[in-house]
Amino acid sequence: MDISLLLQNFLNGLSIGSIYAIFALGYTLIFSILGIINFAHGALFTLGAYFTYALMGEAFGFNGLLANLQLPIKLPFFLALLIGSTLAGFVGVVIEYIAFRPLRKRKADPLLTVVSSLGVALIIVNLIQYLVGAESYTFPSNTYGNLPAAINFGSSDKPIPIRTVQIVIFVVCGSILSLLTYAINFSRFGKAMRAVAEDQVTASLLGINTNLFIVSTFFISSFLAGLAGTLVGSSVSISGPYLGITFGLKGLAVIVLGGLGSIPGAVLGGLIIGITEAFVPADYSAYKDAVAFSILLMMLLIKPEGLLGRRFIQKV
Amino acid sequence: MVNLFNDYAPLIISMILGALLGISLYLPLMTGQLSLASPGFYAVGGYVAAIFSTKIFLTSGLYPWYLLLLEMAVAALISTLLGLVVGIPVLRLRGIYLAIATIAFVEVLRIFSLNLEITGGAVGIFGIPQPFNNTLEYLWVVLPLLIISSIILYRLENIRVGKAFIAIREDELAAEAMGIDPTHYKVLAFTLGAILAGVSGVIAAHFLNTWNARQGTFDASIIYLTSVLIGGTRTFVGPILGGMMFTALPEILRSLANIPNLPLWLVGFLKDGRLIIFGVLIVIGTLFFPQGLVTPDLFNNFSKLMRTGLNKVRLKKI
Repeated sequence: MDISLLLQNFLNGLSIGSIYAIFALGYTLIFSILGIINFAHGALFTLGAYFTYALMGEAFGFNGLLANLQLPIKLPFFLALLIGSTLAGFVGVVIEYIAFRPLRKRKADPLLTVVSSLGVALIIVNLIQYLVGAESYTFPSNTYGNLPAAINFGSSDKPIPIRTVQIVIFVVCGSILSLLTYAINFSRFGKAMRAVAEDQVTASLLGINTNLFIVSTFFISSFLAGLAGTLVGSSVSISGPYLGITFGLKGLAVIVLGGLGSIPGAVLGGLIIGITEAFVPADYSAYKDAVAFSILLMMLLIKPEGLLGRRFIQKV
Repeated sequence: MVNLFNDYAPLIISMILGALLGISLYLPLMTGQLSLASPGFYAVGGYVAAIFSTKIFLTSGLYPWYLLLLEMAVAALISTLLGLVVGIPVLRLRGIYLAIATIAFVEVLRIFSLNLEITGGAVGIFGIPQPFNNTLEYLWVVLPLLIISSIILYRLENIRVGKAFIAIREDELAAEAMGIDPTHYKVLAFTLGAILAGVSGVIAAHFLNTWNARQGTFDASIIYLTSVLIGGTRTFVGPILGGMMFTALPEILRSLANIPNLPLWLVGFLKDGRLIIFGVLIVIGTLFFPQGLVTPDLFNNFSKLMRTGLNKVRLKKI
């Protein structure tokens, strides 16, 4: 088999896997701290992409209530990325206040919280569709300024072109991952977060403001979702508001593969699923989506706690 | 009056099919497991009916009723097998693993049905023959199904199997400690729900004349989940009423939108914003009506009211 084709597929898989990893990081953070699966994460993913698109001064289409909306500002990509993701973070915090905190106060069943997050996801995605329509939007081609569209590794007769955007995605993912690992494992803030994830009542007895840390976790996780959404939007295109739902479901597969609640597991799971999807032969490309779900079903059969997860021993 | 029934016959049949799908989601919920797989089995049942009637048994004119029953039997068999294949590995686990696995299952089914030749690809199968002359005659098939399911569910709470379901829902570990095998009963509930959904799919395929991959999607799972949650999760009347209500809701909203002199954005919202309304209902329902609208308390209060209302004199004696 041609080594350059292998390498090309592998690098493609790494880049899409990095996006899955960033997305799954947010999912797994909320699971580790609250014990729930936040289905609204996928909706925030879409929201981040749409926010960044609007902040870059691009126009929306004819459908929807806010037809032809175009903000008068035109920010460079990285600034729009940060601001868009921060806005997604704020929306995440609002969701926490409206939908999750009242349920926590009533000590509701975790199942009820999961269903509530499904409702929130439904509201956000359909609100986007109602406001700006369901068309697909592409980011302008000069997003990355003067960088070339693709960089050529390998020699000139066996070229291995890598799109610049894929390198950007990989670099962003790597830096986010190292930043997050450093923050969670080596800082006081991270220590407090791990304490809240371990046992909320004990943490509050020790003087940690649990509500603050839960809100911060939501902010970080929604920021990551918005970031992932923008990166996907800029690398392929925003194919409509339902992009988030598909990604959300695949994100489930990633965190189950890596282990619910495990951060390195999320990254590992994302990379594995990304690379596996990239190696699907072109004839069967329609079944690419089924790959992630089949892996999920197999993991549930073989090792339900995931590759790097811990087996929970529930005390009664 | 007869005209009313004739005009609204498709809506009535759809409402009853919605109620059946609500019941099929309620059965795993009785054991405390959230299953989003009903639309998947519904789609499988529909495809069985579609393939049988367009590719295997080619008849002209009306489709004979015994072939319809054969299709229902085959769909029930396939749903049982699929339900066991998906249910047994997953239901060993506790928690929301069933919800995740059923979401994945529905998606895999959808992608396969979208791409295989035999299911007609993205276009689907159309031209499925009708077994009845008049739409209202579907009631012959659908109504007995609903009545039998209701009777079974009504009696279920008083027999051993039903009590096991409720015990598992309340506290799975305690139930296991008392000698109830949770996996066995959870798989039983899940498979029963699957069979009901599959049979409903067969009827729906003939009713709708065409069948494609859009019939069993994640969206449909959410809609039926909403109807069961809002309708009532603790009694069997809840999902029936919820299913009927939520199937009729888009029609009601659409007719509301035709009221003259409404602002434009409200008209558009009523017509297309149905899913936003569902989402809002889910969030509000989990906050304020965690057991849904039709709860066992409602029945208790109602019977208490009837009793105290009629026997006021007797109570005063104490």
